[in-house]
Amino acid sequence: MNRRNSIKTKNIILRSLEVILLIIWIFPLVWMVITSIQLESDVISESLRLWPENPTFENYQKAFRSTQILRWMLNSVVVSISAMVLTLIVDAPIAYAFAKIDFPGKQILFWAVMAGMMVPFQVLIIPLYQQFNAFGIVNTLAGTMLPRLALPVGIFILKQFFEGIPTALEEAAFIDGANRYRVFGSIILPLGKAAMATVVILSFISAWNDFLWPLIIVSDTAKYTITVGIANFQGTHGTDYALIMSGALIASIPQFIFYAFFRKRIIEGIAMSGIKG
Amino acid sequence: MAIPGNHDKRDGIIFSLPFLIVYFMFMVFPLLFGLYISFFNWDILSPGKFVALDNYKRLFTDEMFYSSLWHTIEFVLITTPILLIIGFSMALLVTGDSPLSKISENVFFLPYILSMTVIGTLWAWLMQRDYGLFNQVIRHFGGDSIGWLINPKYAMWSVGLATYWWTAGFNMILFSAGIKQISKEVYESSKIDGAGYFQTLFKITIPLVKPTAVLCLILQIIASFNVFGQVYVMTGGGPHGRTRVLTQYIYEAGFRYFKMGYSAAMAYVLFFIILLISVIQYALLGKERS
Repeated sequence: MNRRNSIKTKNIILRSLEVILLIIWIFPLVWMVITSIQLESDVISESLRLWPENPTFENYQKAFRSTQILRWMLNSVVVSISAMVLTLIVDAPIAYAFAKIDFPGKQILFWAVMAGMMVPFQVLIIPLYQQFNAFGIVNTLAGTMLPRLALPVGIFILKQFFEGIPTALEEAAFIDGANRYRVFGSIILPLGKAAMATVVILSFISAWNDFLWPLIIVSDTAKYTITVGIANFQGTHGTDYALIMSGALIASIPQFIFYAFFRKRIIEGIAMSGIKG
Repeated sequence: MAIPGNHDKRDGIIFSLPFLIVYFMFMVFPLLFGLYISFFNWDILSPGKFVALDNYKRLFTDEMFYSSLWHTIEFVLITTPILLIIGFSMALLVTGDSPLSKISENVFFLPYILSMTVIGTLWAWLMQRDYGLFNQVIRHFGGDSIGWLINPKYAMWSVGLATYWWTAGFNMILFSAGIKQISKEVYESSKIDGAGYFQTLFKITIPLVKPTAVLCLILQIIASFNVFGQVYVMTGGGPHGRTRVLTQYIYEAGFRYFKMGYSAAMAYVLFFIILLISVIQYALLGKERS
């Protein structure tokens, strides 16, 4: 009897804690939606009103019409998609080499590459800016995207996965006369799809959310990525919070879609690599 | 591998090359070039004169550098312990037998995938002095408005609150993975021995999840040391520079005042601090394991 009571108490405590946390975690998002569907004049009210009196989609129309938000989204799409494709192209072969090929200096090279994860990006901003200035790619989308390719997180995830592919499969192919490139293309890549999907998704999200570097490298508002555009919303639209919130929601649509479709992969990828934004 | 016509050496190089080229161009070279720049009095377009260690020496007499460094450490202290506790609690909830666990996991994690500028604008709005939700609620119950982001006493904590909401879900994922690795048998035998929930929590779960906690701690301290976006969007470093963090000062020195050499030197000091912390942590971790 005593034991059953204590289980009951435990359940009550845990469930209440859970519900409180749930409310705290859901409410800001709900509030973002509520603000975005109100008239600007209704938002600026000193008294508490939890539900919009005159719900409207005017702010969304205004966001699309009178700001460059679509342009910024498009820029972010271009940057993130090219970052994710190119990341895979450079990461997959070296990850395979680290996992399966015996070549001299491999261990040292691997640690030299992984050490890149320790470098805070702030150290690179001044020299990269100078370099890109010399290349003539300051204020371009290419300049926004390129530094992302040197991040070694994807290599780590792919190497772990490739190591798990049985070497016997490769050996059989070698005996049949295939070379490395053949083995890589017709065995490793098809079997590594799951890990590659994880890398691609994580690199898309982190490219989409990147802020410091796009803020530095791009000065022309038409070249802003969405994160920089949203950060400057407050400066340009002052107290029009309804518009600002609808902009913030529009800017988050790709992440909501990605999350809905790839939830499991995103979570697995993070648990595996422990990358933190 | 003993295969006919072994080209491992050649293949290893060829497969590594594409990445190594971008790694050299966008990581290794700038890392060295930045160190070089830090020894110069360098403005935006032209290298100025060689000043040896002057930029570094100047840092140690620059009050703004000390205050930015302190604000960064303050942010680390405000965020790290609480984020670990929230993340762990969330992990306990979502790995337990709650009927809500699937919903909870999604809700807790969702903010993490949003960009920090979205998070920043949202929380700046929630904390807005006159019309923000928080103050509306406080006034509704008869309290006085709080200057969340404009009162120097609260501003850093307010940025911290937004950060809890943003990244607790990340720690939850790592802790959940750690908790799931604990074998079921351990729990079953403790149940047979008559241990209650909280006894099991303190005697089994917490000790066994320690390696994960250390990993979270390391990642969290490093992430918090790099704080920038939230502060930039929510307070712009204000009020009166009260929340200016090191990354913001590096950014401003380089790209607002164009003191590139000085900015690079500061970035190297930040790098050194982060490196030192990581080395200490990994050393402690290694000691723990042996």
